[in-house]
Amino acid sequence: MNKSFLLIAAITFVTINLFSQPITNHQSPITIKDVWARPGAKNANSALYFVVQNNGSKADTILGAKSKYAEIVEVHESFKRDNDRMGMRQVKFVAVAANSKLEFKPGGFHVMLINLLKDVKAGTSLDATINFKFAGKIKVKAVVQEMPGM
Amino acid sequence: MKRLLLFVLLSFSACKEKLPVVDDFGGAHYNLVNQNNQQVLFPDILKGKIVVMNYIFTNCPDICPLSTNNMRLIQQRLKKEKIENVQFVSLSFDPEFDTPAVLTKFAEIHSLDLSNWMFLTGNKSVTDAIIKKVGVLAVPNDSTVFKDGRKIYYYVHTDRIQLSDADGKIRKNYKGSTINVDEIVGDIKNLL
Repeated sequence: MNKSFLLIAAITFVTINLFSQPITNHQSPITIKDVWARPGAKNANSALYFVVQNNGSKADTILGAKSKYAEIVEVHESFKRDNDRMGMRQVKFVAVAANSKLEFKPGGFHVMLINLLKDVKAGTSLDATINFKFAGKIKVKAVVQEMPGM
Repeated sequence: MKRLLLFVLLSFSACKEKLPVVDDFGGAHYNLVNQNNQQVLFPDILKGKIVVMNYIFTNCPDICPLSTNNMRLIQQRLKKEKIENVQFVSLSFDPEFDTPAVLTKFAEIHSLDLSNWMFLTGNKSVTDAIIKKVGVLAVPNDSTVFKDGRKIYYYVHTDRIQLSDADGKIRKNYKGSTINVDEIVGDIKNLL
């Protein structure tokens, strides 16, 4: 009786802990910090920004992202054309070099949250998952704000 | 004393000359609607006011929000310095998506102060004519197609905040996403 109880308790403990962890490879040298997103209205778009730090000796690659807050989530980059024209395009992947820091920031790389499923208001937060080739899926929580520090 | 007075006068006129007229709306009148779906005759409605204006589409998630946020910072700075008679305008070059209701929601979600800021949209041929007149380019480039067949476009566009004087003459263009707030506030003071 005691052995069965202990066995069930052990299995329960392991199961709960296994599934409560972020879907992350804990040996991963990848960390993501300073995550924020712009406010956006339902059916409009928003963008997600963050800093990726790769402390490993091997490059990794961002393959995409997901969020339950938007119908479509894509990695995009803004680009300059001529002197004063700006555009934006989807990118299929973004390389993160070994022992380097890569910033997703306004005017550069960003994760597009396309067709928001509800209002995303300043002062709230939203969840997303960034998918790496080697590090796997890393969950992030973004602070919703117009600009950092505002 | 006379020399000092002359120096001050010359300095003052030199400051004024820093902002030559670079363009205007050619005396044309354009029928638009604002975020409240009210008819607006542009640029007539702005006559007598210094105007800070940008050109946007609300599906733009990166550059236009930067430009719009900079408009907000300019507006806040002017209020802090008690500088009045300045009107802020955001004209959509994607009017088929940016209806008055969309523009109202955009202003609301970004907590914009609309006391001296209007959003304008209208017939696509009219907004195209306005941006062409002032040399703003907006060309559909990339797009997203949703499961239900809806399609939204992302434009390659001129990143501009534009300063006009009280006579509707365009006095200076700035890069909207990276504008120096001190610079435009100084230029506005020159136009007062």
